[in-house]
Amino acid sequence: MQLKQLANISAALAAASCAVLGQDAQAGTVLDDWQFNSAILLYNETDRVSAGEAILSARGDFGDDKYLNLGLVVDALTGASATGAVAQPGVQSFTRPSGKGSYDVAPGDTPLDDTFHDTRVQLDASWEQPLAPNWRVSGGGHLSKEYDYLSLGVNGSVARDFNQKNTTVSMGLAYSHDTISPEGGVASGFAPMLLRSNFADDDSYQAAFDATRDRADDTKDTVDMLLGLTQVINRDWLMQFNYSLSMADGYMTDPFKLVSVVNSNGEVQQNLYESRPDKRTKHSVYWQNKLHLGGTYLDASYRYMWDDWELKSHTADVKWRFPVSEQWYVEPQLRYYQQSAAEFYLPFLQQSDSLPQYASADYRIGKMSTYTLGAKFGTKLAAGNELSFRIALYQQNPEQDGADAPGVLANVDLYEKVTAVMAQVSYSF
Amino acid sequence: MTDVAVSRGKNCTLGQFSAMASPCEILLETADMTLCRELTLLAAAEAERIEQKYSRYRTDSVLSQLNQGAGQWQQLDDETAQLLTFANTCYQLSDGLFDISSGILRRAWQFDGSDRLASQAQLAALLPHIGWHQVQLKPKQILLPAGMELDLGGIAKEYAVDKVLQLLRAQFTPSSLPSIVVNFGGDMHCSRPRHDGSLWHIGIENPGLVDHAISAVGLTTGALATSGDSRRFLLKDGVRYSHILNPKTGWPVTDAPRSVTVAAPNCLLAGMLATTALLQGASAEAFLQAQGLKYWLVA
Amino acid sequence: MRITKLQGCAALVLVLSQVTACSSLGVKPWERDVLAKEEMALNAAPLDNRLDDHIYFSKEGSSGGRSFAGGGCGCN
Repeated sequence: MQLKQLANISAALAAASCAVLGQDAQAGTVLDDWQFNSAILLYNETDRVSAGEAILSARGDFGDDKYLNLGLVVDALTGASATGAVAQPGVQSFTRPSGKGSYDVAPGDTPLDDTFHDTRVQLDASWEQPLAPNWRVSGGGHLSKEYDYLSLGVNGSVARDFNQKNTTVSMGLAYSHDTISPEGGVASGFAPMLLRSNFADDDSYQAAFDATRDRADDTKDTVDMLLGLTQVINRDWLMQFNYSLSMADGYMTDPFKLVSVVNSNGEVQQNLYESRPDKRTKHSVYWQNKLHLGGTYLDASYRYMWDDWELKSHTADVKWRFPVSEQWYVEPQLRYYQQSAAEFYLPFLQQSDSLPQYASADYRIGKMSTYTLGAKFGTKLAAGNELSFRIALYQQNPEQDGADAPGVLANVDLYEKVTAVMAQVSYSF
Repeated sequence: MTDVAVSRGKNCTLGQFSAMASPCEILLETADMTLCRELTLLAAAEAERIEQKYSRYRTDSVLSQLNQGAGQWQQLDDETAQLLTFANTCYQLSDGLFDISSGILRRAWQFDGSDRLASQAQLAALLPHIGWHQVQLKPKQILLPAGMELDLGGIAKEYAVDKVLQLLRAQFTPSSLPSIVVNFGGDMHCSRPRHDGSLWHIGIENPGLVDHAISAVGLTTGALATSGDSRRFLLKDGVRYSHILNPKTGWPVTDAPRSVTVAAPNCLLAGMLATTALLQGASAEAFLQAQGLKYWLVA
Repeated sequence: MRITKLQGCAALVLVLSQVTACSSLGVKPWERDVLAKEEMALNAAPLDNRLDDHIYFSKEGSSGGRSFAGGGCGCN
């Protein structure tokens, strides 16, 4: 009995006392606080791309407001992606971007390249800490690798609090160096897509194919700058303003995208690899509001982006969290996005016109509007853990911008809509 | 509303009020007197709320109502249910030494420094009504056998210290949290280390032995609680009887240290361990060593 | 005429008082109970935002705004 009394009862009592106080138990007085967040997202487009993405992030509390953040992202992508070529009334043959193998596209169908399958692994780390009273700094880096792509980056930011921490001004800089090495090499601008069937033998085809590829890989450098202002308006209202500038220099062409050259009757004469400028400067302003409204939490944001490709976009995003019980909440989400076409976006090239300096038929830089409608359901579990489920419908509606469809193109869908479903499970522990 | 006084100290501001029969202090590392006053008012209100709810001197307190309802099943509110669940855990883990039903022993013992010991007959009449194992506790209900009484005196003040700090903490974002100390008569809890890295030097009650006393402790973060028999004891035939009573025998614990101070992550835990250590009598230090937490003894 | 002028003054006073109110935007440290909730964090669901940013980065012509636009992937 005496032995039992002298046993270490403090750990069990600590847990019991924390239960009374509604706190998480701490081991002794030593701070060893790691918070983990994990999520898995499945993204599935009707008849097109499917993707799965898993994230694990960890945040370590090293005391005195010093934190280490670590992240691991793995994603896998498979399925068919629009090549940019136009649909035709007859069967079309395409060579795969690697130059090896070909596929046929049925009459009336938007050409999709079904060879896409890629796996990406990303690691990132950052450290944040106070520098002086009211000053905070952070620095970090990332490494992202997929089969034909490597991205390395560093970033840093500094923030200063004013006015009893009701106002925070921040400035961040990031630099990233990306290398793309597509299988079969990088196609030169407007290189024709060659078909093996037009050649007498493999050797002559391969020689001609190699002539369209002028280098094995290419690079892109991006510098980002972000200026932020956070302002507490009142007890229930918080606001964020950002201005960001992103300057990219290097290879920004999509090595897998084509532009069809059509005659006056809309019949494809040839497919060329697309060509984009090697410089892009983007600006954006972002305004976010967090509001507490009678026990609910509203997150509403708006972004306006413009760049020297003359692509302009408006994005509005609203998430509204409603607690439905002690543990559960429901959060409907709505996002609307609208963009104008980049100046060199052309759904197809006319044979009669001279070749422009740049052209891309990638619908993602064409005129388009999209919306996302979703809902998240979350529950708080014991010991501060949280589990949530999110489901969303994402609809892309590419739109015609100028160019009338000549001849046979009038009878095919040049601006096919894309519908995707996203499902996500998240767990924090 | 409780009276509070705010003053400026050296490198800190100080708010004071009186609650739970103790002098209460809120120490704040900033020089913002207005902020200190607001926090002290919040603290005083919360301390008063807990005192009103669990005082055995107020007939309308939740605790007194429970005692008056002994003999039948009674509903418990969330907070009270949690405190009683904690008391139950303490009872189990201390092997019956920490017992919130032992308060009625006061009827036999008056620790006034005299030599009037309780008679065995008095104790024999009381002991059948002591023993937490006789109490039936369900998640939201309690059945206290008739004749028994509960006393949260060993928990309420420490609980109040933790709850007050929790309330003050909630007024800040994690990154803007200043170092705050809540000190209710020597039971204290600190929110975080001071920004300048210095220690809080806080005097804790001196049990009378100046030479051995802990006159001041340095506190960076976490909680401290002290149990002792400073002025409450009996002295007969050279034996000093502390006011810490063994609930199983009804007799004061002998050969216990005069005072025990324990450092722990929260005040509730520190207080419970300090009291349980004293209940171990001569084994107090061995018990404390086994807990793996920092402690101070006055023998 | 005189009445109009007086009304002008009243309007000016009103505008000024609103400007003064604006200059004291924010809350006292002890009024941060709501703002301190995790639901009120600007980046309340960091993983959701990361996943969304990645999807929209690879499906639309814009990126960034909330955080760095960056490079990072050759997503299709």
